[in-house]
Amino acid sequence: MIELSSLIVGVALLLLLMAAATKGWLASRQSEPRLAASEEDATEPCPEEFVNRVFSRRDWEFVRGLKAGSIERLFEQERKRVALVWVRQTSAMVRTVVREHAQATRQSKNLEFSTEINIFAQFLMLMGVCGILSVAIQIAGPLWLGDLAHFAQRLAQRVAKLQESFQAGVLANTGEAGSA
Amino acid sequence: MLSQLIWWSSIALEIALLVGGLRSRLANRFPVFYGYVGFVVLQDLVSFFAFEWSPGVYKGIYWVTEFAGLAIGSLVVFEICKVSLAAYPGTARMARNALAIVFLAAVAKGFPTSAGWQPTSTALEMERALRTVQAAAILALVALFLVYSIPFGRNLRGIMLGYGLFIGERVICLTFLSQQNHDFWFYAYSASYIAALGLWLGHLWSYQPSPQPNICVQLEKDYQRIAAATRRRLQETSAYLRRVVRS
Repeated sequence: MIELSSLIVGVALLLLLMAAATKGWLASRQSEPRLAASEEDATEPCPEEFVNRVFSRRDWEFVRGLKAGSIERLFEQERKRVALVWVRQTSAMVRTVVREHAQATRQSKNLEFSTEINIFAQFLMLMGVCGILSVAIQIAGPLWLGDLAHFAQRLAQRVAKLQESFQAGVLANTGEAGSA
Repeated sequence: MLSQLIWWSSIALEIALLVGGLRSRLANRFPVFYGYVGFVVLQDLVSFFAFEWSPGVYKGIYWVTEFAGLAIGSLVVFEICKVSLAAYPGTARMARNALAIVFLAAVAKGFPTSAGWQPTSTALEMERALRTVQAAAILALVALFLVYSIPFGRNLRGIMLGYGLFIGERVICLTFLSQQNHDFWFYAYSASYIAALGLWLGHLWSYQPSPQPNICVQLEKDYQRIAAATRRRLQETSAYLRRVVRS
């Protein structure tokens, strides 16, 4: 067991050092100011109405009504591209928030370990959600994402209900055993 | 033959590194690191003559100096931490907590179950267990440096990358190394130090100052305000993502 954990630690260390070396190398190359704005510069979220439109099926139903296969394919490709740009922008925004936080607090003398861990956990969760969204868009496309989210929500609710009824059953059984 | 080649090239590179450090006065800036390199040169020379004189004595000398090198190497990690985080007390505090957690986890994992800490375990198993703890400590530190975007000068980055590479390679080699055979892992174990020496020579040939932070130190009460604002912004993003996907 210790061999496996040693191997994992060793490989993880080498990968992280590669990331650190790449970051240092990139930083040394980026001494000149960047001119063009990119997805990485995002500081404000994209307006919700616009994003809702990307994931909405209304436009898709209109395009399907045209009964032109090439337009349908083009529409799907474009929507997927826009949705992926939105996910990248959102994850860049999350990274910017945490980077700004780290740069502002790293010199603070009363930095709290638990607060920092909490923020880092929130950051990891959001990055995970963005990763899952990106994969889901790649696989299913943005138009079916709403359905997927609703399906996941219904599934989660059903599991929660099952768990509640199971817990209620366990409590009832222990109550009966106690009274007997 | 290959062992001899690795041995002598290590000694030559170590001497070149020491001469370069004395010439550029980097040895004054990183005394623990150069002390460590000096110790390894001495270890290599003593081990070489002991090997020629009596292989039995060599075995004892090898393990004693190997564990002494491991202890001095840990001081190098503390020197990296001290020099790089001198201007960042907040991150230094996080680093202390992270290191404490790593050592507590190592003790908790090692004492009751593994063979790593027991008196019956071999020197090789002991070294693997200790090197793994060292690797985990460096891993936690590098992760902190990346998260808090701690700027590194070329020299300090070289020391950190070289020592991290050496420890990472050693841990991987020790996982597969057998005491009986002189296979690939035996030579990779010996050669891992040469890779680190090459990196150090490239980064430590001349002095280059570390970039200084240009943001003024925050007031004590500002931290709570910044942390609350960050959490609020992350929560807003989370709610925004939920709303969009469920719409």
